[in-house]
Amino acid sequence: MSEFTRPMEGATEIPPAGFNFENVSRNARLMEAWTNAKEQAEAMRKHHAQHGMDVAPMMAGGGYPNHMPLAKKTGTTIAGIVFKGGVVLGADTRATNGDEVAEKNCRKIHYVADNMYCCGAGTAADTDQTTALVASQLELLRMDLHLPHATSLRMKTAVTRISRLLFRYQGHVSAALILGGVDKAEGAQLYSIHPHGSSMRFAYTAMGSGSLAAISVLESAWEPDMEEADAVTLVQRAITAGIFNDLGSGSNCDICVIKNDGAVDYQRPSLTPNNTAPFRAAITRSSRMDMKPGTTPILDSKFVPHKGATLADVTVTEMEVS
Amino acid sequence: MASSGSGYDLSAATFSPDGRIFQVEYAGKAVENAGTVIGIHAKDGVVLGVAKPLYHKMIVPTTASYKRIHTVDVHAGVATTGFLPDARVLVGRAQEEAADWQEHYGSKVPPHVLADRLGHYVHYFTLHGALRPFGASCVLGGYDVDTKECGLYMLEPNGAAYKYYGVATGKGKQVAKTELEKLNLHKQDAESSMDVATAVKNVAKILILLHKENKDSDGKPMELELSWICEASKWKHAPIPKDVLTAAKEWANEQLEEEDEDDEEEEEAMEEG
Amino acid sequence: MMSASHSSMVNPMSSNPYGLKEGEVSTGTTILAMPFDGGVMLGADTRTSMGSYATSRSTDKITFLSDHIFCLRSGSAADTQAISDIVKHYLSHLTIETGREPLVKTAAHLMKNIVYSNKDSLSAGVIIAGWDPVEGGQVFNVVQGGSCLKQSFALGGSGSLFIYGLMDSEFKEGMTQDEARALVKKAISHAMARDGSSGGMVRTMTVTAEGNKRDVTPGNELPFGPVF
Repeated sequence: MSEFTRPMEGATEIPPAGFNFENVSRNARLMEAWTNAKEQAEAMRKHHAQHGMDVAPMMAGGGYPNHMPLAKKTGTTIAGIVFKGGVVLGADTRATNGDEVAEKNCRKIHYVADNMYCCGAGTAADTDQTTALVASQLELLRMDLHLPHATSLRMKTAVTRISRLLFRYQGHVSAALILGGVDKAEGAQLYSIHPHGSSMRFAYTAMGSGSLAAISVLESAWEPDMEEADAVTLVQRAITAGIFNDLGSGSNCDICVIKNDGAVDYQRPSLTPNNTAPFRAAITRSSRMDMKPGTTPILDSKFVPHKGATLADVTVTEMEVS
Repeated sequence: MASSGSGYDLSAATFSPDGRIFQVEYAGKAVENAGTVIGIHAKDGVVLGVAKPLYHKMIVPTTASYKRIHTVDVHAGVATTGFLPDARVLVGRAQEEAADWQEHYGSKVPPHVLADRLGHYVHYFTLHGALRPFGASCVLGGYDVDTKECGLYMLEPNGAAYKYYGVATGKGKQVAKTELEKLNLHKQDAESSMDVATAVKNVAKILILLHKENKDSDGKPMELELSWICEASKWKHAPIPKDVLTAAKEWANEQLEEEDEDDEEEEEAMEEG
Repeated sequence: MMSASHSSMVNPMSSNPYGLKEGEVSTGTTILAMPFDGGVMLGADTRTSMGSYATSRSTDKITFLSDHIFCLRSGSAADTQAISDIVKHYLSHLTIETGREPLVKTAAHLMKNIVYSNKDSLSAGVIIAGWDPVEGGQVFNVVQGGSCLKQSFALGGSGSLFIYGLMDSEFKEGMTQDEARALVKKAISHAMARDGSSGGMVRTMTVTAEGNKRDVTPGNELPFGPVF
């Protein structure tokens, strides 16, 4: 063993890099224990009830939770299409936590490289981390290869990196991605990558819980060699279909256009079909509801200075430098 | 030797100022002092041959205990010379490579790949100060099951693995090479005209000639070990059948006697002239 | 007797014939390969599904391994893509080391080793077909569990069950290229008509010494189907 590998005494141990699954089996055991405890509590409740005792203070199921705290899953609509001048990606901006909207304006179109962006559906943390990791790998690769233009980085490289990563984690990293971009080798391209690591190339595709709504719009109106404006409108329509018809999707529509020359037009938001400000503003309330300053009378006031040390109490000694 | 004492010959990891690696050259010397190996690539097969001096009266002259030709896989064999324990390590490696290939790819290793891999292995031992180069050399004969072609290669202690029409190494390599060149194996049309049967006779002849010409060994017992890969052996590496070997030896001795007589006549003619 | 489907994971009659994990994309599939006079013919449908949803209707399941060797994938899309990438990688190294085109049996051998040694974590049924100068056109079936069978024609995927009879009755040794392509198209169309998880188009690939040729037949120009 070399001296370099000996951990320094007293130094904080750096946790290993990468995803961590050490709690998976612990959580499974915990669930099992809770289930047993719940059954026992329920049996006890029944027993008490049978013997005419008061069961009101006893919670049903003994108050044990039904499931482990869940990771934030973004019920999502994401879509992308290839058009004459490049690729258009679109996403809604709702993040959910179970039935609850956790975030009304979250960013689902992630930066991967100057010429590639990636829409993510699935667990928010996983899509964030996966795209950030691959973005870093690609930037290092670009510097290593001395590539002057971002479009020299190949889409194929990004797809390979991502799908290898997801395959390695056997579906435990829940990232369902639509990767869009342009490169010098093959021009504008669009790929979908599933959490288990399979990848497919498409001219148009949609993913996430709202993908069925979105794909039906794309299936009915997509055509080869569309103009940019038409393409953007089509993706907006697809995402809006998800926003309004899928409970997991909502709020705004973000759009990212990547053109054949590598130029990017990231519109956030591109559409705000759920902007409530005008409706709120339109509500007229009685002026009697407004609280004027001074409504609460001040009876007395007193100033007590802080008793802690002040700068004047501290003796400053010059540092020994020679 | 000029190099000894200079300090540049202590390790295979050190170059001399004129760009040589003495340890590897010394390993070559170990081969030059050992028994001769000959290989011929004929139009319809390959033949390998070694001459084994029986150093001691009490050595049992069988091929089992004192083997210099080994089968590596059904379709490949090596004839070895030099420091024999080193050679046996090479043989072991060759057998391992062949078996690993089959395990991996489900097919027989092509001879040129086997030679190349052995070359890499031998060369590795010339790179590190902590390792000793192989004091052995071997001639590899193989049949390529896919292309139905034979190949003949020689591995040198420096890791080189060249392909040959005919090759010789060991003590008698200079004389043997001259004799092989006379057979015109390297001329395409001539090569295609020599068959294994003729090659076997010629290998035997050259080995016996070397044995007779060497003052130290003449008259002492010697055993010929020959193997081949050809249609007769069903394209497997196999020892040459006893009757074929005996016939080859007889033919070789007759030829050599005839040549001796011719030489004597010539000499007489020269003297008279 | 070799038994191809002893693995408890595989039950072709269940709605989840490959034992896929939840949310896993599958090539619920019909794939078919057969040698003909001078080469081999490969064919596949183009549907990829996730449960009852068709994730893609134009998938290419005829996957490149080396210049004259291809594989047909069935089972988990992620697993089969990953392992065919590995085999492709091995074969390209082999080509460099030997300086010649790899053998079809070598490709099948590599595939079999991977499938067998990871049998507990893979759901993959792969047909390897191709041409090599030693043995010509050949077809190998590497089934779930990792056995490798050299066959006179190979069927795979959930749709194959519907066309075994058809193939048994119509397949002949030494067909011409055109006869082979027609039979492959016909058989896959029949499977697509009866199997819910096969569908879309029929892709074929002709592999011969002279080169490879792709062909696509759209869903509305198939020789058979749909059935109502």
